[in-house]
Amino acid sequence: MREAFSSALVNFALSDPMVLLLTGDHGYALFDEFRVKCPQQFINAGIAEQNMVGMAAGLARVGYRPFVYGLAAFIPVRTVEQIKIDIAHDDLPVVLLGDGAGFVYSHLGTSHQSTEDIACMRSIPGLQVLSPADRFEMSACMEYALESRSPIYLRMGKSDRGDVHQSPIDALQAGQLLQLRSGRRDRPGLIATGSMVTIAVEAANRLDLNAWSAPLLKPLAQQAIDAAAQVSQGLVTLEEHSILGGLGAAVAEILSEVHPMRLLRLGVQDRFSEHCGTHAYLLKEHGLDQETVLTKIEAFCDVG
Amino acid sequence: MPFNLDVTFQPTRLRQTVLEMAYAGSTVHIGCAFSIIELLAVLYRRYLRYPGHDPDSPARDYLILSKGHGVMAQYACMRELGWLNETQIHQYFSDGSELKGLSDSRVRGLEVTSGSLGHGFSVGVGIAMGLQRSGTDQKVYAIVGDGELNEGPIWEGVMFAAHQKMDNLIMIVDMNGFQAMGTTEEVLSLGDLQSKLESFGFTARSVDGHDEEAIDTAIQQLWSSDDGKPKALIAKTVKGKGVPFMEADNRWHYTRLNAETFSEAVSALGIQS
Repeated sequence: MREAFSSALVNFALSDPMVLLLTGDHGYALFDEFRVKCPQQFINAGIAEQNMVGMAAGLARVGYRPFVYGLAAFIPVRTVEQIKIDIAHDDLPVVLLGDGAGFVYSHLGTSHQSTEDIACMRSIPGLQVLSPADRFEMSACMEYALESRSPIYLRMGKSDRGDVHQSPIDALQAGQLLQLRSGRRDRPGLIATGSMVTIAVEAANRLDLNAWSAPLLKPLAQQAIDAAAQVSQGLVTLEEHSILGGLGAAVAEILSEVHPMRLLRLGVQDRFSEHCGTHAYLLKEHGLDQETVLTKIEAFCDVG
Repeated sequence: MPFNLDVTFQPTRLRQTVLEMAYAGSTVHIGCAFSIIELLAVLYRRYLRYPGHDPDSPARDYLILSKGHGVMAQYACMRELGWLNETQIHQYFSDGSELKGLSDSRVRGLEVTSGSLGHGFSVGVGIAMGLQRSGTDQKVYAIVGDGELNEGPIWEGVMFAAHQKMDNLIMIVDMNGFQAMGTTEEVLSLGDLQSKLESFGFTARSVDGHDEEAIDTAIQQLWSSDDGKPKALIAKTVKGKGVPFMEADNRWHYTRLNAETFSEAVSALGIQS
């Protein structure tokens, strides 16, 4: 997935000299190829994210295509106001790349974990939010971001979960869900994003459920959610992000208007991580590991 | 070549426009508009190039009003240029009108959305970097307030501009000595700002910010210092300059004009209302 990200960036930069990569002193190994192949288009802005995002707006104003990279805790969360005022207000074609979202930095604690970035970005007018689950979705999201010529936040979470698609996917359409599995219509359907998609697929396989991936979190089409609701008995959302303001909230907003039905939001409750440990350990602490998720979905099936 | 020499940008007339707008809209922020009148007059008259008289020309110079609170002074200049009409001036702040109380990039002629402080300068640094990469001779003039220098991103941008040797950028500091709650000395003292900026890698000069000739000379000298460094002009100004009862009185950051004070202020400018 990270290779797909890096190679997309290199390809964009090689084919368009106006593409620039700005980083806040992060991405030491990730950008090795970029730095070798496009050294003039690589800008290390220093550990100064606010200035970096403002500068990206300035560069976009004079015709450049900035891709701004940082850890999700900093890009976008530390720089929400610069994104709102300097970039989104003028609909500038800047792509914000937030790496290590969720609990990727499980050992480092709260400052580097990011479970509020989707919520922050969803409420900014005109800003689209992408959250790929595997290398195929990553490639499609990068193409989508380049083509859309409007402000984008692309969220990268835990990236070593393997493929959820078998082959490259077609160009993404705004608002669409990608169906991964068809299952029983008398049971809940699962909608997951990013790192939680593999866990959702496994649960869907075991319980014979419908499952979708949501690489495009904003806009999320009413029609896509309604269609998922039509073939399911209740819906479950799964995300490595707060249940407040993220995928679960977005689905709840649409469902309540177009297809009221029961919804189970699986994600981070309104709390910070308490302990240190592996990523798998933290998922367990937050009740997002495979077994706990399965148990919760089974209980939700039984209520239905 | 200076582009706007045919427009006088007469400071008294600019201040009168500010008073007219502030009275029409019952707005605040008069003092911080008055302190940058001469700076803007010199920049528009002699330095800012707008090919085709077009505020959106891709070949223009960029005037970044990072201290967006002074925007009425810029509106006054845009009125002189014919970029704003009389209705926009006299119906300032009326429902449905376009001109806001802080700089807004969607207004033709304004470059950045500011007022939340410490934003415009970084955008200006990005523009300067882009222009420099493109190899044009276009320039960026970024006006920041001395109070605004409290903001961290300003210093991030200062370091970056110096590191990248952006010699197409001038930071102009409106050193009026006040911020919202008091003097800059009382709130967060700046120390020796010229030395500070020089130590950050800028070529800096200080000037009387109400002396048009001195401002002009200082800008010429800054541009002619062929040292590959970004420039800083520290303009020592008086908040509320031009109307004696407003000068160096921070209440005119917040006070609105009534019929009486409007009339007094206009008279003090030496203009018949």
